[in-house]
Amino acid sequence: MVEKKRINSVLVLLLIAFVILSACQNVNDESTDNTADDDVTEKQLVVYSARNENFVQPLLDKFEADTGIEVIALHGAEPLQLVEEQNNVQADVYISNDLGALGYLAMNDVLTGTELEGIESIPADFRAEDNSYFAISARARGFIYNKDLIDEADMPKSVEDLFDLDLSTIENGYAITRGGNGGMIGHVSALRYEWGDERTAEWIETIRNQAAGIYNGHGDIRRAVGEGQHAFGLVNNYYFHQQLLEPTDNNVGFIYLDQEPDQMGAVANAAGAGLVAGGPNQTAGIKFLEWLLEPENQVEFVGESLELLINAEYGAEYPEEVAPYIVSFDELHIQEMPIRELGQYFEDTRLLIESSGLDLELR
Amino acid sequence: MKKHTDQFNKQNPHQKVEVPRASTLLDFFRKINFIVFEEKPPGGILFSIGALTSLLMVIPILYVLIQAARADQSKWARLLDGRIPELLWNTMSLTIMVTLSAVLLGVSLAWFVHRTDLPGRRFLKVLLSLPLVVPPYVGAVTYIIFLGPSGRLKNIWDAVGFLPAFPFNPYSFWGVVFVLTMFTYPYVYLITGSTLNRMNRNYEEVARSQGLSTWGVFFRVNLPFLRPAIGASAILVALYALSDFGAVAMLRYVTFTAAIYFQRAGFDTESASILSLVLVILTLLILYLESMSRRRTRFSQTPSGFKQPQRLALGKWRLLVTTYAYSIFILSVVVPVSVLVYWTIIGLGRGAIDTRFIGFAWNSLQLSTWVALFSMMLALPLVYLKGRYPSRVTRLINRLAYGGYALPGVIVALGFVFVFNNHIPLLYNTVFMLSLAFIVRFLPQAMQAADASLALVSPKIDEAARSLGHPPWKVMYKVTLPAILPGLLSGGALVFVSAIKELPATLMLRPPGFDTLAVRVYFEASEAIYHQAAPAALIIIGVSIFPLRFLINKY
Repeated sequence: MVEKKRINSVLVLLLIAFVILSACQNVNDESTDNTADDDVTEKQLVVYSARNENFVQPLLDKFEADTGIEVIALHGAEPLQLVEEQNNVQADVYISNDLGALGYLAMNDVLTGTELEGIESIPADFRAEDNSYFAISARARGFIYNKDLIDEADMPKSVEDLFDLDLSTIENGYAITRGGNGGMIGHVSALRYEWGDERTAEWIETIRNQAAGIYNGHGDIRRAVGEGQHAFGLVNNYYFHQQLLEPTDNNVGFIYLDQEPDQMGAVANAAGAGLVAGGPNQTAGIKFLEWLLEPENQVEFVGESLELLINAEYGAEYPEEVAPYIVSFDELHIQEMPIRELGQYFEDTRLLIESSGLDLELR
Repeated sequence: MKKHTDQFNKQNPHQKVEVPRASTLLDFFRKINFIVFEEKPPGGILFSIGALTSLLMVIPILYVLIQAARADQSKWARLLDGRIPELLWNTMSLTIMVTLSAVLLGVSLAWFVHRTDLPGRRFLKVLLSLPLVVPPYVGAVTYIIFLGPSGRLKNIWDAVGFLPAFPFNPYSFWGVVFVLTMFTYPYVYLITGSTLNRMNRNYEEVARSQGLSTWGVFFRVNLPFLRPAIGASAILVALYALSDFGAVAMLRYVTFTAAIYFQRAGFDTESASILSLVLVILTLLILYLESMSRRRTRFSQTPSGFKQPQRLALGKWRLLVTTYAYSIFILSVVVPVSVLVYWTIIGLGRGAIDTRFIGFAWNSLQLSTWVALFSMMLALPLVYLKGRYPSRVTRLINRLAYGGYALPGVIVALGFVFVFNNHIPLLYNTVFMLSLAFIVRFLPQAMQAADASLALVSPKIDEAARSLGHPPWKVMYKVTLPAILPGLLSGGALVFVSAIKELPATLMLRPPGFDTLAVRVYFEASEAIYHQAAPAALIIIGVSIFPLRFLINKY
């Protein structure tokens, strides 16, 4: 009994210590808030990001170090969360891997345009007319394949090849992402632009039925293909670059799709950022976007993602394992649809994907 | 002690007071009061706290159900057409298999430990309950690392060369069954174990004297006695399998719970609500089945002449049984913990423990402590109301408050998103909202502990205090609280551990910049960055060991 009492009093003491500690912390927070009010400039920035956290966090850390503005980040934020929060805006900046998502948000007035210093460094094709969003890095879609399982010669070279693929020749089949993945949505939007809805729906049905694996994201696919769980998978080119860096399971190759002159060209997409309308710290949001447009930070945005910098001349550096495999954007035959039109397709594309039987989410 | 309460309750029917005719409004209210509270109206403050708490518990869930009922017909049609049958099959087959294998494992281990001369049984008794501190999603991660397609074991296997293809695949139905079984069987093991321990030897001796073999005694005598214990623990396992998100999601198996989460993550809240409604019905169905089976069978033991049960010599089975018991311990504790320690050491070398990591740990600690504190504070009035002012209303309040217990965290979180974003925008996306969701989920654990302690305190003590002029809330605070504090604290400890482990509601409700250790384990592991996932997982396990004593005593 005595021992029990002692344990209880220790517990109570710990609790009291904890309450005091958190109280102190709150007081500190408030004091910093007060100075912020005096300075007028905001000391906080809320960033929602749909991009892989490991690429975005170092960028945000650098911003914090450069400016002293504290960044509060929510990683893995879907564009529709911003729509849901439109009456109760939480974020200042949205970073996305899918220019279609940014375009869609701009169309729905979730993003707002502004004069940004340094915006002219981004080609007009890669930013909104009112500069409410812009892209920094680009990627092309294609197949990552496992060289142990399949020869380059046997690989399909066009998205259309997926219509009549002899699955028996493909060991362990191929992998795609769920329908709601930003990259998949962008890809399907491009196909709709090229083929119209009927044929696109047919294509979705085909891959949904034939794919040996449907994954949450491209990272899962590149690892599964690297491990030999599937012969190939539909991903963005930089996932191939990432797999090359793995210490094991890195015997992979990549096919840029539809590169013949009479073919549609590889489907491209871009990653970038946009300014949220009515965000709690809009000044800090604008400051972040202008900071991001500085050449040095455009390079940082690409960071470990191993994507292609739109402004290639700023010199993104790639590790030696990857450098020989980098194909710069102007060497590729890219599909003609302007990327910034993707936003107009976003909502209907989601509907088409779902009604063609490919679930937006994993099942 | 127990007698006092009984007497106290029995007084009710005899006390029928003539209710005066409702001539004034005041009289009318008084009459209602008497009918509703069965002549024992609790104090106003106490009652409002209790009522508010229980409302907090049900409103979010009701909201989800209403959303589902009002959802688009075409959405219903599409889901009913393909999705729901498939999910039903996935979910039910998994739940049934996990429950069966957990019962098989738990009962057999309990019997070997408590009834045979198994070597090292005194240590094993504790060792075999240890998997309780490993959250299943952590277990899933360790088995992905260990048995996965690029796991250690497969590499060794392939290197040997002449062996057939590697037979294990954690990303499969049986992989999920294995992982969930390994980390839920202790519920069955602990509950049946304590029943086995209390079983009177007389019955077994009679059976044996009538010529029954050991197997016969087990099936004809022990098993019937164990049925209530097995039933209760099987329900716990089944409810867990229904509500688990982390392990299932990491092993890429989709049940209702995971589907609800993914639908919500894709902001198809209508579909998420519809799936939630089906899951709620499934949960209620299981609870109903259990109450039915309990009604049919009732056993009692005569307390007099209790003799310690006899231990059986294992004889030629000794080696086999020993191997069995120890291999379960190795699979459910040694393997996961070693994998985590290995990757934590790698993580330490690569600087995984940085200021960011400490921030996550602090978030976890802060959140869990507040939730534990508030759960203890709120549990007290609820339990006190039910124990001291038993009536229809207080029973209803109590039952509502238990609602969050059986329901998966994803549904609670879904309800909170709706309610807060639409009606309480000021608190939306705050730690406060997250804490409230935790309280809804874990308050019942604190209530159970407090309830058990309160049953041991005589109501006469309260009445003495009341007669000296204290209002009910003050009696509760000054007299009852000190008496039941140990029980309440142990309940708080259980809440703390559950909160530290919580995954799905945190994923759905965490405000920007507020990641917890559990969330980090999930994200790092799904990106296959194991050296960063392992330290966080190890901390969660380490913290959970602390209240294990309460957990073991609870069953």
